[in-house]
Amino acid sequence: MPHRIVGQPIARRDGADKVTGAARFTADVTLPGLVWGKALRSPLPHARIRRIDTSKARALPGVLAVLTAADMPDVLVGRRMFDMPVLARDRVRFIGEKVAVVAAADPEVAEEALALIDVEYEDLPAIIDLTKALDSDAPVVHDNPGAYDGAPAERPHANVQSVLRFKLGDIEAGFREADRIFEHSFRTQLAHQGYLEPHAGVVAIDANGRVQVWASNKMPHRLKELMALALQLPQDRIRVNLTPIGGDFGGKGSLMDLPLAYHLAHVTGRPVKMVMRYAEELMAGNPRHPSVITFRTGVTSDGRIVARQVKALFNSGAYAAFKPALSVHLGGASMGAGVYRIPNLLIESYCVYTNNIPCGHARSPGEPQMIFAGESHMDMMAKELGLDPAEFRRRNLLGDGDLLANGHHLEHVRAQETLAAALEASHWSAPKPGPWIGRGVAMTHRHIGVGFTNARVRLEANGMVTLLIGLPDTGTGAHLTLRQVVAEVLGLALDEVQVEAASTDIFETDSGVGGSRVTHTGGQAATHAAEKLKEMLAAEAAKLGTPGGSVRTIAQAVAREGRTLEASYFFDAKSHAAVTAFTAQVAEVAVDPETGQVSVRHFTTTHDVGTIINPIGHQGQIEGGLIQGLGYALMEELPTEDGRISTLNLGECKLPTICDIPPLTTVLLEDPVGPGPFRAKSIGEGSTSPVAPAIANAVADACGVRILDLPITAEKIYFALKAGKQRS
Amino acid sequence: MTRKICITVNGAAREAEVPTYRTLLDCLRYDLALTGSKEGCGVGVCGACTVLLDDKMVSSCITLAVFADGHEVTTVEGLASDERLHPVQQAFVDFGGFQCGICTPGQVVAAKALLDTVENPTEAQIRDWMLGNLCRCTGYYKIVESIQAAAKQERP
Repeated sequence: MPHRIVGQPIARRDGADKVTGAARFTADVTLPGLVWGKALRSPLPHARIRRIDTSKARALPGVLAVLTAADMPDVLVGRRMFDMPVLARDRVRFIGEKVAVVAAADPEVAEEALALIDVEYEDLPAIIDLTKALDSDAPVVHDNPGAYDGAPAERPHANVQSVLRFKLGDIEAGFREADRIFEHSFRTQLAHQGYLEPHAGVVAIDANGRVQVWASNKMPHRLKELMALALQLPQDRIRVNLTPIGGDFGGKGSLMDLPLAYHLAHVTGRPVKMVMRYAEELMAGNPRHPSVITFRTGVTSDGRIVARQVKALFNSGAYAAFKPALSVHLGGASMGAGVYRIPNLLIESYCVYTNNIPCGHARSPGEPQMIFAGESHMDMMAKELGLDPAEFRRRNLLGDGDLLANGHHLEHVRAQETLAAALEASHWSAPKPGPWIGRGVAMTHRHIGVGFTNARVRLEANGMVTLLIGLPDTGTGAHLTLRQVVAEVLGLALDEVQVEAASTDIFETDSGVGGSRVTHTGGQAATHAAEKLKEMLAAEAAKLGTPGGSVRTIAQAVAREGRTLEASYFFDAKSHAAVTAFTAQVAEVAVDPETGQVSVRHFTTTHDVGTIINPIGHQGQIEGGLIQGLGYALMEELPTEDGRISTLNLGECKLPTICDIPPLTTVLLEDPVGPGPFRAKSIGEGSTSPVAPAIANAVADACGVRILDLPITAEKIYFALKAGKQRS
Repeated sequence: MTRKICITVNGAAREAEVPTYRTLLDCLRYDLALTGSKEGCGVGVCGACTVLLDDKMVSSCITLAVFADGHEVTTVEGLASDERLHPVQQAFVDFGGFQCGICTPGQVVAAKALLDTVENPTEAQIRDWMLGNLCRCTGYYKIVESIQAAAKQERP
């Protein structure tokens, strides 16, 4: 049966608020008596703190409080591994680590006070270079990381945060079967998520002693738990109030300045707002991990992959605190096999401590790194084997019943169809329109996410239905998607359903936003709750003797009796479904032989999708994720010198602008077999990862230059072309 | 040092006593409680704080409040009239020209200024004009589409 509301291109109902400036983001929250908090940060990558003198700052008129680690309990914070102090106590471990915090009525006064705090440091040897951090004589970032709460047991070196290993078959035997063995190494850069709303938080202690929190945080319930641990308070003393979030892309799940805002609120007796400057975001946010990844693959003479060994090093920086997974690692590490059937596989991945900015989650964490390396490696092997890169892929793509690196088996695999559609739409086999023009293909796949969400639907006296949900909308339009599924189930018009973002007082728990899970967990919880309400409505209608009677009539009858009809559902997806979603992309680029400049002439993105609940939002996820991938491929980087990020402004770290976007063809292969509500699949993380290797492969095709480290800049190509000319 | 300034904001005369170093953005947001304009980069490159100063686009995060003394400022709050969205605002809603909405106040102010200047801009003119307004959510395709629709007063 066709749907009425699911699948319709319905415009965002929060649109008017967003386009008029009425929407209240965290930084817009104001309260009577509100004051500002600002943090002083370390200028050194590794040093002992000898002494902190705050007397001059305290004496500045308008300053209400100056706090250092000595003024607060000795508590370490984190998301899974608790290794980060709220303020550095005796040692700083990266440039940008917080050492003191000030509260003042004016933000300008608070910043002026920071300059009056005198910190005496004693330099310690720093370990900056990822590839040297595991040497036996490397300086150690933490003396005993195994002692931290949440620390994984395996630790081959004190600078290892965590190790992940994935194994299929027997690689020794696999490599013996191979006719050719190829080995290539790749590097990826440090990159910020690029949300335009810097981290913001407001903390107020109300008249009942409850801690009221507003935060640009996508996991309100986890935030409440983490705040309780950080502040040594019972969880029920803390309430997180939901606000719209100004972009997340994986980066907005940590405590950031919130414990400091609490301590300042506690000391001053005033509500405290802390908003990071963008320079602070770039210096001390929780960006995407840089990596060094080596692929070694054994292939038979007919182009079948029989063995692969992958070793990945991720530069995690000075703390593990920003990693949300129990493994204290990046999920993308498992993507070393990409979209291919590799019977004998070993992936070893290390997250490594260094005296750099601590890294965290960014849209499909770890995956753009792995997919850049793996999909570049595929083309390099195809070239050596004399095979068309698409044909080499075709011979090795996953099929029904195959296993992923993590041992998960797949069903209803559409890798071949997805690749074929991308090749067709991009005219892969057509002659290229001129010299210095090339085409490149790359693929990935992405599961719908796991997690848990509570939903409650309530019939109001006026016949409206309210959906209460503890998930914030990070900007994706998740709340509209949820309204659509509830309206669909209940047979209501969209505007007869409203969404209320529930504070953490309403539900016991919720896994929040992340990992392509919201449409799934929120959507399933909302669908099931709505189905329960539908049964209740039918029963009421029967009681009234008006089966099929309008919801409004039932609402009035129920309200007259002083009753409320309400249904709740807790949805908990513990493991990945067997159905995943494939992406195949083709870039067509031109390389300027004089300058090395790459222009993307056309981009084709092909997605294996389930039921599309909202086509506007769905396409928005594809386009937004793709342009983030384009930035990662061609321009974005936070270069560091001795641990100091040298581009502390958003102009210099080069996010793509409206002038950088290529002509785009999107192909959607709809097949409603997804595990999500109404058989949806995930889309939020499918379009980002293959962009960089598709472009790198196209550049190699255009000019013969193989770029092994991101971003693919004109300079790198220029010098490679020049070196090539000199050789010939 | 503080100074008393008078700015006509969205048609209404507003007064504020501000430190001379306060930015126009902070003055709008915190002295005048107009929090529609946003601070993103804080250095004049992202465009989230875009307002019109005497009909000219400026980054209010790098404009001092005292410079606006005696002038007219239009913010995102001043675009809709009588509960009716400006055609640019309506098009951003209809065509998915926003996602999280943090850059949107600046985007719609800039797009309005474009359409006030060029009635029916080409795609190249739209891209050129909107270059200083970053968006991280949409990938810009739907922003271009929204502005084209606004120029033609199209509804889906």
